[in-house]
Amino acid sequence: MKRRFLYLSLAIALVLLFILSLQIGLIHLHQSVFSLIGKNNSVDATTVWDVRFPRAFGAVVIGCALGVAGALSQGIFKNPLAEPTLIGLSSGATFGTILGIATGLAGYGSWVNCLMATAGTAIAATVIQLLAPNKNFGFLLTGIAFSSILTSVAGLIISISRRPGIASITFWNFGSLSLVNFSTIRTILPFVLAGIILAFFLAPGLNIWSLGEDSAFYMGMNINRFRYLNILAIALLIGPAVSAVGSIAFLGLLVPHVVRLVVGPMHRHLILLSGLLGAIVLLISDLLARAAFAPHEVPLGLLTSALGAPVLIILLRARRAAWVVEQ
Amino acid sequence: MIEIKNIRIRRGTALVFDSYSATILNKGATLLAGPNGAGKTTLVSAIAGSTPLEAGEILINGNDISALKPSRFAQMRSVAPQRRFFTLAFSVAEIIELSPTHLRSSDWLEVIETLGLNQLKSKKVTELSIGQQQRVSLGLSLIQEADFYLLDEPFSAQDSNFQKAILEIIDIRAKEKGVLVASHNTDALRSHFSHEIAIK
Repeated sequence: MKRRFLYLSLAIALVLLFILSLQIGLIHLHQSVFSLIGKNNSVDATTVWDVRFPRAFGAVVIGCALGVAGALSQGIFKNPLAEPTLIGLSSGATFGTILGIATGLAGYGSWVNCLMATAGTAIAATVIQLLAPNKNFGFLLTGIAFSSILTSVAGLIISISRRPGIASITFWNFGSLSLVNFSTIRTILPFVLAGIILAFFLAPGLNIWSLGEDSAFYMGMNINRFRYLNILAIALLIGPAVSAVGSIAFLGLLVPHVVRLVVGPMHRHLILLSGLLGAIVLLISDLLARAAFAPHEVPLGLLTSALGAPVLIILLRARRAAWVVEQ
Repeated sequence: MIEIKNIRIRRGTALVFDSYSATILNKGATLLAGPNGAGKTTLVSAIAGSTPLEAGEILINGNDISALKPSRFAQMRSVAPQRRFFTLAFSVAEIIELSPTHLRSSDWLEVIETLGLNQLKSKKVTELSIGQQQRVSLGLSLIQEADFYLLDEPFSAQDSNFQKAILEIIDIRAKEKGVLVASHNTDALRSHFSHEIAIK
């Protein structure tokens, strides 16, 4: 009952915010978006359907991806702070993308870019969990250290590469939805959908996984296969998101925590609701990024950090028992 | 039958077992006795398949455990580790539901009742005492239908009433299955066990 109400109210909020995202922006519309449905013959119509619509749709797809990936990542790494940006997975995606551009592979199409970012994420996740000495601080610090290595090597590649335009990556790395268009969405949507479907089927296993890998094994789970399927799902979600809009911090950390506090730790609801809430948070953030300091646009990643970090601190202090860290 | 054949296991650099062999029978309760640090937990986890062997082999009903598929292995042995860490705030009822239904023993409701878990059903597992958490953990293992039950220190955090309750379930299981119980506090228990493996 409570859950159904939550799904419904989040879905309604998502639709309203989506409409609001079409209506509000740098160019002031002279009419409501509803009167522009089916039209494409005015500045207003072009603004709404060719610029704002793909951007808002991109926010929904990417926000959903980041929310689901955050929930998966906390679950599989058994660490409440295992957020893809924090533990270096986004750096893996960035590294993959930059390598793709520098080697010229990205010239074969934007899906190659997406694939490179996905592979970068998967490899970073695999290396970090193999190197980490334990599940707590050791894991986080390994992620942070490995992330620094990837970032410096990526910076080195940017400095020595002769490819035109590669320096613009510095801005893109902060996260912005301003470059999202229909072609971006066509590229990333299949990856993200595959990731979400995989996450949905992995969810029940994550409940058992929370009892410990040995316990999961005693109950008949193939733990290595399960681990790598989760990493694959995370990569399918994070890689495309980072390759399209850069690294957006805190969303994947915060959203699953909020959802868990409200509906409890059952992963199927946790994953679906994290997807919904992730989309909502990114739509709000992008609205603020565009409107709050107009005519200046603020990088999205800065906003999600500025909004997300304080809320997380408050939440963690209020309900410490929501996650007990293994000693 | 579980056959432990000439196994060698190292913990860090220390050699815990070398050319060690033992047998656990198909039916009846076997007590695995020994002082702290003798390697009881290591042996249980080796039989359970989560501690790798440096040499030797362990066969369960004639199958080498290192070659068994996890799903098949789970039908052959159920394990209660010494301590399970409950990291997420599931309710006790939700934790019990995590036990796979196709592996559930037919008397699982009675086991839950005997272990006193019905009164805890709506409580968050992360907010229970160590003794209560241990009973939840034991419950998860004892409701799994398997040929062998491997219980590591199942009484360590229990009062005498629940020690009796757990022994009752062990007696029932031992009529048809093999049960191995590791414990360092063995004097009060001996009468319940038909066999004993002592390690030093």
